[in-house]
Amino acid sequence: MTTTTNSIWVRRPTAVPAGELSAPTFRLERPLAGLTIGLRTDRAWRSWQLIAGVWDEYLQRDGAQTISVETGAQIGQPASSDRKQIDELAEQVDAAIVGLGTCGSCTTFTIKDSVAVEEHEKPVVAIVCEEFTVHAHNVARHVGHGDLSVLVLPYPLEARPTEELQQIARDYYPKVLELLGVTA
Amino acid sequence: MTLASERVEVPADPRAQYERSLEEHWSDGVPQLPATDDAIEALIAAAPYPADHVVCVLPPVNGVATVELVAVNAALAGVEPAAFPFVLAALEALSEPEWNAFGLTTTTSSVFPMLIVNGPARDEVGIDYRASCMGGAAGRGSMTIGRAVALCLRNIGGQRAGETTKSVFGQPARFGFCIGEWEERSPWPSLAQRRGFGVDDNVVTVHGGKGTFPMADIHNDDARDLLYLIAKSMAYPLANMFLGNVGNGEVVVAFNPMWAERFGAAFPDVDDLTGYLQENAWQPIDLWPAANAEMLRQRGRVDSHDRVHLVERSDQIVPIVCGGLGSLHAIGLPSFGESTMQSKRVVRKS
Repeated sequence: MTTTTNSIWVRRPTAVPAGELSAPTFRLERPLAGLTIGLRTDRAWRSWQLIAGVWDEYLQRDGAQTISVETGAQIGQPASSDRKQIDELAEQVDAAIVGLGTCGSCTTFTIKDSVAVEEHEKPVVAIVCEEFTVHAHNVARHVGHGDLSVLVLPYPLEARPTEELQQIARDYYPKVLELLGVTA
Repeated sequence: MTLASERVEVPADPRAQYERSLEEHWSDGVPQLPATDDAIEALIAAAPYPADHVVCVLPPVNGVATVELVAVNAALAGVEPAAFPFVLAALEALSEPEWNAFGLTTTTSSVFPMLIVNGPARDEVGIDYRASCMGGAAGRGSMTIGRAVALCLRNIGGQRAGETTKSVFGQPARFGFCIGEWEERSPWPSLAQRRGFGVDDNVVTVHGGKGTFPMADIHNDDARDLLYLIAKSMAYPLANMFLGNVGNGEVVVAFNPMWAERFGAAFPDVDDLTGYLQENAWQPIDLWPAANAEMLRQRGRVDSHDRVHLVERSDQIVPIVCGGLGSLHAIGLPSFGESTMQSKRVVRKS
C-alpha cells in the first residue's frame, strides 16, 4: 500500500444502493366504467379510511366496482394474511389505490404493497403524505420500482376536521384517476 | 488477501481524517479509526466466512453487506478481531424477516437494534453487563460492536436521519447499544438458554428497543408487589404495544442482580415470573380517552373485566439480569411491537 507522510489509504465503508433499475409501470388507458378498482387501507389511519371511503363512493358512482382490503401488520401471521390479501387483490382488480404513507414504516409498507400490485402488471398509485414523499420514492427506487406512481396528499391528515378531509378527498380524486390512466 | 472495496486516500492527520469522514457522511459524528487494509484484513481473518460472503442485505437502500464491507465499518468503530464475529451474528439476526428491519430502519419511532450478548466470551471481548452496562461502563466490546452495527446500518443500509430514516427523535442507542446478561447472578436460565442455545454458546440477541425506560423503588421489599408495579409501569398507556397487534413484539425488562435474587426466590421458574408479569401488565380501559378507548375496543383488546393487556402471551415479556448491585432499579426496553427478537450463535474461528 502506498502511503505518503500526508495521506493514508483506507477503504470506503458505503455500499452502492440496490434497485437502480426501474420496473415497468402500467396505465389503464380506458374509461373507468366497468373496471374493478382495489382500495388498500391501513387500520392505523382514520383519516385515510375516511378519504378512501369517499373515493370508494366516487369510483362506484363513476361505474367501477371496488374491492377494499384493510392491512395492519408488518410481521407474524397477521402480516402474512395482509400480504396474501394484497396478492389476491392484485389478482382480482384492474388497478389499485394503496395507502397510506404517513409514517416511516407505514410508508415503507405502502410502497411494498404497491409494488406487489405492480408486479402483477396492474396500474397502481401509492398514496403518501407530503412529509414522506422523499422516503416513498427512495423505497420505491431501492426495491427496483423507481417509476411507481405516487400521489402526495397534504400533511398531516390526522387531527383535521372531517369536512376538511372530505374536501381533500374531493380535490385529489381526479388526480388519482389521472395517475391510474383513466380516460374520459 | 485481495480486498474488493474501493480504496480512498485520506489525510494522515487524525483531525483532518475526522473532517473528511464528516464530509463523506461515513461518520456518526464521532471520530473513527482509519479503515486501513491491515485492520480490515485482521478482522476478516477472524471471521468464519470469506471476505466476499454476503452476510445480509441491509435496508433501507438494500446495500449488500459482505464480510469485507462489514469489516471496513467494524474497523472504523475499533472492533478487535476477536469481537468481529459478534458483529456478524448481530447483522445476521437483525436481517431475519421477522425482525422487520425494513420497517424498523425507516419508522418515525426511535426504535433501534439493541444487542444482548450471552455466553462465556463476554469478558474476553469486553461486553458490559455489570454497573452502568447500558452506558458509561465503556467496555470495548460493548461500545465497538454496538457502534459497528450502527455504522453498518448507516453506511451499508444507507440510514440517514430525516431522509431514509424518519425517526422523529432517534435515541442514544442509535450510536450503538450492546449489553451482556450477568448470567452468573441470574436465578433463571440465561436469555440464550431460554431461546434454545447451549450454555457454552456465545449468542447475540437483537431486540427492536424503543429506548431505556427506568423504574425505581425503595419502599417495597415484597417480590410480588414489586413485580406488580414493574408490570404496571411497563404497561404505560402510550406504549407501542397498545397501538399494534397484541401478539407481536416483546418487552425486555432488565433486573438488577439484587432484585433478580429476590424475584428468583418468589418465582424459581422463569415462566411463572413472566406469567405473573403478563397477567399484571394491563390498564383499565377507562384510563384512555374516548378516541383511544374506541380503537382498543374495535380491535378486541378489552377483556371481559375491562382490562387492556400489554401483551397477549407471557413469552412476550423477556426478563434479563444485568447492571450494578444498587438494589433500587430496573430498566425496561419497550418494544416497537411489529418486530420479533432474533438470536444468532456467534461462530468463531477455532
